[in-house]
Amino acid sequence: MLKQEINELLTQTGPGTPMGDMFRQYWIPALLAEELEEDDCPPVRVKLLSERLIAFRDTEGRYGLMDEFCAHRGVSLWFGRNEESGLRCSYHGWKYDVNGQCVEIPSEPDERRSSLCAKIKLKSYPLVKIGDVLWTYMGDPAKTPDLPQWEFSRVPAEQSYTSKRWQECNWLQALEGGIDSSHVSWLHSDGLRDDPLFKGAQGNKYNLADLKPFFEVAESDGGLFIGVRRNAEEGHYYWRITPWVMPSFTMIPPRGDHPIHGHFWIPIDDENCWVFTYDYHPVRPLSAAEVQAMRDGKGVHNEFVPGTYRPLQNKDNDYLMDRAAQKRGDTYSGVKGISMQDASLQESMGPIVDRTKERLVSTDSGIIMARRKLWRAVEALREQGVTPPGVDVAHQAVRSAAVVLPKDQSFVEGCADALRVRPGEKHASV
Amino acid sequence: VSTPATQAGQRQPTLLASCARATTAAEARYRISYPGFARRSSRVIALGGQSEQSVREMGGRSWGGGHFLVFESAVPGDALLRHAESGGTALLSEELEGADTVVMVASAGATAEAASIIGDAAAARGIMSAGLVLPGSGDSVNEVVSALRPNAMVLVVLKDVADVPKVLSALRV
Repeated sequence: MLKQEINELLTQTGPGTPMGDMFRQYWIPALLAEELEEDDCPPVRVKLLSERLIAFRDTEGRYGLMDEFCAHRGVSLWFGRNEESGLRCSYHGWKYDVNGQCVEIPSEPDERRSSLCAKIKLKSYPLVKIGDVLWTYMGDPAKTPDLPQWEFSRVPAEQSYTSKRWQECNWLQALEGGIDSSHVSWLHSDGLRDDPLFKGAQGNKYNLADLKPFFEVAESDGGLFIGVRRNAEEGHYYWRITPWVMPSFTMIPPRGDHPIHGHFWIPIDDENCWVFTYDYHPVRPLSAAEVQAMRDGKGVHNEFVPGTYRPLQNKDNDYLMDRAAQKRGDTYSGVKGISMQDASLQESMGPIVDRTKERLVSTDSGIIMARRKLWRAVEALREQGVTPPGVDVAHQAVRSAAVVLPKDQSFVEGCADALRVRPGEKHASV
Repeated sequence: VSTPATQAGQRQPTLLASCARATTAAEARYRISYPGFARRSSRVIALGGQSEQSVREMGGRSWGGGHFLVFESAVPGDALLRHAESGGTALLSEELEGADTVVMVASAGATAEAASIIGDAAAARGIMSAGLVLPGSGDSVNEVVSALRPNAMVLVVLKDVADVPKVLSALRV
């Protein structure tokens, strides 16, 4: 349960809001690199943290992210012409470079152009390609943090795959699904049997044999580790450990030698978010079959309405609910695919769930602690200017893990190495 | 309302409120406002050391019906507890009657025996057991976590003692 004012504090991320200020401390995923696939390609409208922006890639391959609307008459620059190192408004030809600086006003006399242009600059943010993702930082330029170091975005291109999808609800309830390990045994129980990106791992047997897992939540420098343990061989537990790094990065524990995957939950506005979904292997290229499975929406990816980032299963078609499959036991909820099983239920809660009415139980401790840490970090930033956890790139050097440990061993201790990035070394997984 | 792709023979929704699109803020106004559950009956038990002070402080606040107790000693087949606020004593078995959640609060000095007695008693009665581990030095925390692990279905290791009442509040203790 949360008080209404705390619910609002954690869910509202527009300019000037406390949580919005906190999100603006981080480099966040803004677009997939494929959306601006070549120089002078069409610009892309982007809404992030309740700000309407336009992204483009200029003639020199530089990326820009700036106010969507022309300073002159407020026309959307999406209708503009991306040409000769700038984005030109189609209405009167005003042109902007990737920093939002106006560089041309054709209607003005020549001698006035340069002085007037110099005074016109759209709000802009840096846009940087790292891996499959274009990242932006929307905070104070003087406090720009080091570029992100997430392992999935730093491995060679052939070892990584990223997709994104639109989720029609507030970012926090989507994130909370990512750290709610207790729902997996129910909602996603079908996934372990036949999904090509999960099946065959030894750990799956432990999952299926012990349906009453125990939970352990430990704070980390960047957020939390959420451990779930099940019985394994005599005297041992099978642990699956999910790191959450603030504000919205999660990594799902791996299965066997399958790639590791996880999500970034990025607010579009207060009632919508982007879910960036990555899959990577630390030491080997993804196979053609694995990449095809990801493109086909397997694992934690999903299928799309062609030409869009909207899931094929969405609220306009009741998520293609299949009651017969539910009855047969093919799926638990009747919705196909892990990501849409999650999204369908999270969207059903409403655009911003009313947390004053919820009834949490102790297995929700990961969610409770995540909210507490977010709240604490927001207050520390607001009152003392403390940089929140997760900005420091050292906090980003985490991995999930799936391991078997002796019963008397703490997962934090037993997995100290497994839970951090070890370049060139395989992830800890059974 | 667009018509979803449904299976043959299945009636399709005709109104906004009868399909998945009914998730707007406007539609949320029609959600039934009814408690739908009885008051939770929680027992918060300090296992010794610094956790006693923490639980005693919390026991003086207004809660939703939870009992705040301190583990005193084992007695044959049971345990003696002390109410944090009134100072009166009670047997664990008495306190667990009607309880639906037991939260053990532990710090350095907590005994595995206390955790085991409470955990076993809760498990025998089908009561959910959770453990909150207060901050301390690395070794002391590891000892407490090891003592609690077999006896609590959920364990939370805290870095800030101020989080204890926040977690309990979220659980509507």
